[in-house]
Formats: sequence, C-alpha cells, structure tokens
Amino acid sequence: MSADHASMRLIDEYARGDTTMAADTVWALEAHLETCATCRGRLSTAVETGVPGIAALVDTVRAGLEPQLDAAVRAPARRYRPRWVSAWMTPAMAPWLAMIVTVVVVALVLDVAGPPSLFGDASPVLLVAPVLPLCGVAASWSRGLDPMYELTASTARAGLPLLLRRTTAVLLVALPGLLVEGWLTGAMTAAQWLLPSLVFTSTALALGSVVGVSRAAAALVAVWGAVIVGPAWATGRVPLALEPDRLPLWGLLLALGVGAVIARRNAYSTL
Amino acid sequence: MRSRRRALDQLDEERLLRLVAKGDRGAFDELYRRTSPWLAVRLRRRCADEQIVAEVMQETYLAVWRAAGAFAGSAVGGSAVGWLWTIAARRLVDAFRRRAHHAEPPVAAAGSAVVPAAEDEVLARTVGGDVGDALRQLAPELRQVLQAMVLDGLSVRETAILLKLPEGTVKTRARRARIAMREAMA
Amino acid sequence: MTPTTSAVDTAPKTYAWEVRAAGLRVRAGRKMAVDGLDLSLGTGTHGLLGPNGAGKTTLIRALATVLRPAGGELELLGSSAGGIGDHRALRRRIGYLPQEFGYYKRFTVREFVEYMAWLKEVPKADIPAAVQRAVERVGLADRADQRMKTLSGGMVRRAGIAQAIVNDPVLLLLDEPTVGLDPAQRLRFRELLQELGRDTCVVVSTHLVEDVAAACSDVVLFADGRLVFQGPPEVLAAAGTSEYPGDSPLERGYSALLSNSERPGGTW
Repeated sequence: MSADHASMRLIDEYARGDTTMAADTVWALEAHLETCATCRGRLSTAVETGVPGIAALVDTVRAGLEPQLDAAVRAPARRYRPRWVSAWMTPAMAPWLAMIVTVVVVALVLDVAGPPSLFGDASPVLLVAPVLPLCGVAASWSRGLDPMYELTASTARAGLPLLLRRTTAVLLVALPGLLVEGWLTGAMTAAQWLLPSLVFTSTALALGSVVGVSRAAAALVAVWGAVIVGPAWATGRVPLALEPDRLPLWGLLLALGVGAVIARRNAYSTL
Repeated sequence: MRSRRRALDQLDEERLLRLVAKGDRGAFDELYRRTSPWLAVRLRRRCADEQIVAEVMQETYLAVWRAAGAFAGSAVGGSAVGWLWTIAARRLVDAFRRRAHHAEPPVAAAGSAVVPAAEDEVLARTVGGDVGDALRQLAPELRQVLQAMVLDGLSVRETAILLKLPEGTVKTRARRARIAMREAMA
Repeated sequence: MTPTTSAVDTAPKTYAWEVRAAGLRVRAGRKMAVDGLDLSLGTGTHGLLGPNGAGKTTLIRALATVLRPAGGELELLGSSAGGIGDHRALRRRIGYLPQEFGYYKRFTVREFVEYMAWLKEVPKADIPAAVQRAVERVGLADRADQRMKTLSGGMVRRAGIAQAIVNDPVLLLLDEPTVGLDPAQRLRFRELLQELGRDTCVVVSTHLVEDVAAACSDVVLFADGRLVFQGPPEVLAAAGTSEYPGDSPLERGYSALLSNSERPGGTW
C-alpha cells in the first residue's frame, strides 16, 4: 500500500495548480486521489500549508454552508420499499396479488369444509387454478388499473421484458400457493392445473399484444367460466379438459402461446 | 467528544456517508474536512473562476447532505469519493450552463514534454505504462476531451459545455483520441 | 472512474433535426387529431401553441412514442418512430411529461423519480446523483423525502418535470408544464426551460401565450391537426394588428394567424 503513493512534490505541484505538469501524470494522480484516502489527506495538508487561496475558499464555503444545512429539511432517510421490489412489481398490482392469495385460501376452505355437492367431484381449487394468475397479470400492464401507465409507456424498459418481470412476480405469488393447496387437499396433481394456468397466462400475453393485456385476461376468464366452470358446476364432474390425458393438448397450446408472444415481442412497447 | 472525534477518524468515507444519511453533523464535518481540499483543487483545475468553484462546492455538499441516504441505500455502493466527484462535475457543468458568458476554462497545459520523475513511476501503474505514453503523445485538445469524458465521467453534451465546444467537435475529437490511443498502444 | 462513454455516444450525429415529421397522421380515438403535419424541430425551446382540441396532446404523445402514428413519416433523433419496432435506445434519450399523469401515491418524490430513472435505464450507479440533481433543478429538494400524496398540485407537476429531465434527455416533451404552478414557480420554470433549450430539443405544449413569449425561441402554431405557423415569437407578434383580439402583440398575432387559417366549417 505505502509504495503506491504519490510523491509529496507531485502533490504540491498539483495543489498549486501547476500547469506544466505532464498530462499523463495529472491524469494518473487524479485517478489515484479518487481512490486513496492517504494521498487525499496529504493533499489537504499541502493545501493548508502551501495554497492559502484554496484553503480560504474551503473555509468560506464551509461557513456559507452552515445556515443552509440548518435550513435543509431532512426527512429521516427512510426507504419505504427496497429498490428491487419496484423492479418486479408495482403498487397497482398489490391488491390483485392480495386477491390471489385470498382466492387460494377461500378455495382451500371450500375444499375442506364446503358442501361436497357444490362442484361434485371437481375440486374448486382445480377450477380456479388455471385462471387465477390472470388476475394479477391483467393488472401488471394496464391503462385502466395502473396509474403510472402513461409515464411507464414512454420509457425504455416498457415492453415485453418489463411485462415478463411483472408476470413472473404474479406467478411466484400464485403458483406456490396453489402447489401447497394441491398437495394439502390431494385433489389434483400439479400438472393438471399448472399447465393450463401457464397456457392461460401466455395466451393472455399473446392476445394482449393486440387488444391490451387486461382486456385479454378478462376475456379469457369469461371464456373459462362459461366453457369449463359452468358445466362443471352443472354436471358435478371434473371437466373433460382437465383430465390428465389432456395434458399433451395443453402442452401444445402453451407452445403456441409462447411462440405467439415471441413473434409479437416488439408490439408490447406501445399499446 | 474527543473519543467520538477519534472514532470518526477511523471510518472510511463510505461509513461516514452512511452516518451523514442518518443526519450526523459530526460525520458531515469530518467528510467535509477530508474531501473538500481535494475537491476544491480538482475543480479549480477545471474552472479558473473561484466564484464558480465556491458555488459548485456549496451545491455539491448540500446535495450530499440531502441525498446521502439515497447513496447509502443504493445497492451499487461504489466509492463515496467517486460519487462526490460525479455530483460536483455535473454541478460544474450546470454552473457553466447557467452562465452564457462564463469564465474561460483553463487551457490544457500546452507544453507537456516534462518527463516524469522516477518516483512518479509507481503512479503510472494506475494508468499503465503504455497508456501513459499514449496519453502524453496525444494532442492537447484531444486529451482534454478524453479527460472530461473518461476521467471526469461526463457525457458528450456535458463535455461540450465544460470545454465550450460544439457537440460535433467533442464527438470527433473523442473518436480521434480513441483511435490515437489504440494506435499508440498497439 | 469507469469510462461511461461508448462508441455509440461519440458516433457522429446522423440527423439534421431532432424531430422530423412529414405528412404525419395520428389518431386519437376515432378522430384524426394530427392530420398531415410537416414539421422539423432542432435544438432549442419550441412552444407548441394552439386552441384546445387542436391535437397538441396527441402530437406530444406521438413524439413520446406512446402513440403509434397512423400514417406519414416520423423521425425522432434520426430513427424512425413509426410502426412496430424496438424504441429502446430512442426512449432512453426522451423525457416526457404527460398533461395528466398518475403516480403511486405512497412513493416519496425521490422514490418516484428514482423509479422513473430505473425505467429509463439510467445506469444504476448514476441514479442517486441524477435524481438529486433533477429534484433540485425543479426546486423540490426540501420535499424529496415526502410522499407524493402529501404534495400540492404544483409540486406534483414539478415532480413530473423532475422525472422528465432525470435521464438528461436530448428530446424533452412537456405537455402543459405550467398548469398549477404559482407565478414565482412559473418564473423559475421559464429559467429552467431556457437553460435546457441550450442543448436540448424542448417541445412545450401550452395554451398560455405568455409562457411562449418568455421562454421559447421558436413558436409552433398548431390548429386542426395541421401546422399554421412556425417561426420566432417576434414574427408571430408582427403578424398581429390591432384589429385582432389579444392583450399583447403575441396574442394578437396568434389570433390573426388562427383566424386566417380557419377552414370553412371549422369546428373550433
């Protein structure tokens, strides 16, 4: 450490504002001073003893600063949320994420304590699981639900990567809850609902590039309710679409959805 | 009080800044004592007008007092002294911007054929032997641009204001400087 | 002390105008709010004037790349802003203050501007200093750590201006920035505008003629989706004679040019 310091002569010349110093030396010295507290200390000494002009300047500035420091209103430097949270979700999504958690809990309660006749063989969890993440996804990139939509839409990060980040955040909240629930009730295997919910999410994103994500999500929820949940409620059987042997079909749909999102990746920057 | 003073002595600038973020005036005084001569000299070498330097220093330390929390809270961390310079350099450019007719920046040292003394060679390690040679051979007006952009971390537009050059000229010189450096080091 | 510049930054400027529109058409709902606009804007402060409903906001939103043009050409900072494309690099260099903007009420001013800086891909290490500078430039330094919901309308507006300039934009778009500012703040804002106009292409939409007179080097008069006049404020002032309504030469010039341009059956 000690070997790597600048010479006192050099520091003196620098402090005096000597213009005959070699340019690369000044460069190296300035770069060094930025990283070396010892040499900055020696520069301070050099200024105090050899450059009255700068020493006076430093004192004047300090004196002038005093009343301003007193006047500067300082709220405690409290951060209300860590920075990384904002990178993955927005406050606009919070109520929707809370709703997802609530629905999972309610479904669990229905499953355990509800009247068995409500959906017959089909577990309510199984019926809501595929569309549950959609609620959060809808709020993640929406003109109506996100107050900062207009500002966000004009920024460099607006577009598919930001949307995927937010979608990931939604899935991270929704999927573990469903996973635990499926395991607790034993009513369904993970694949039975996981694939459909990923299909719905990717389809919402794909359609979202055309009509807007929130509209796409709302439409998909409506379709799901009409085609699957309604009949299941009426007949009391596990919907055909969710039988385990339909999994390859869901897999195919997922591939299509993801493909469509990739194909339309540039369409998300303006909606 | 004396023991506290000594305790502050032991801390590095990053820790001091973290204390400043909590509103510790003692830590602020210590930070000012340690860094202000360095900042004043460095600014003074870029601006001949003492009035402007004083103004920039004042704005910089006031900003430090107010925004220390944001710096301390940011995960990037980095060097507190480097951060201080970033603030000061931008304020200097702002001060130049505000004054349509501001003081002339000091001209780059015209002759710079001074051979560095042997004792300075340790320093060359920071910039590297080849780089040092290349820098010395660089035409002053190119070096000036390179210094503003690389060492001082300014953008093209800020460099243009600091050196009172059109943006296009700054860009051309920056490109020429880079090519010259690359050739000299090859 | 990492070099913050790259080859991209020092590449020669390939465009003559920061904003260039030719036959630009932009739809707002069903209406074609910008209809065949030809416009070239360079560095400086441009005051965008026009009656309510002239399409100023629609034009600004198209310039901010939020709205996709329905036809014609639009070139911003040398790259085409029409059609579907990756605007990422372009957007990094744009600042935009919408006429009405929402924000998360629980964010502090600093968090709000920091978040916008992150969205605009300002390098992480530069964010704290850039945010502080932006907040100071709009005179909100003392309020930086207060939550947005505690601010008055004028302060929210200034926070909006702070987020617009936090990335040091080359093209700055301000839609009615002086709404809600008191007279003293308005004066300060005009100074900031003049300062910014020195090396930035600033487009300020306003319905206040005096804002333009005080701070703009160039007036763009816009009505019914078309350009009526573009030139220095003095020329606009010279166009007005005493027979036209207005309290100042500039206002009379404004009325004169607008009444001359009125199309038969015009709606306003």
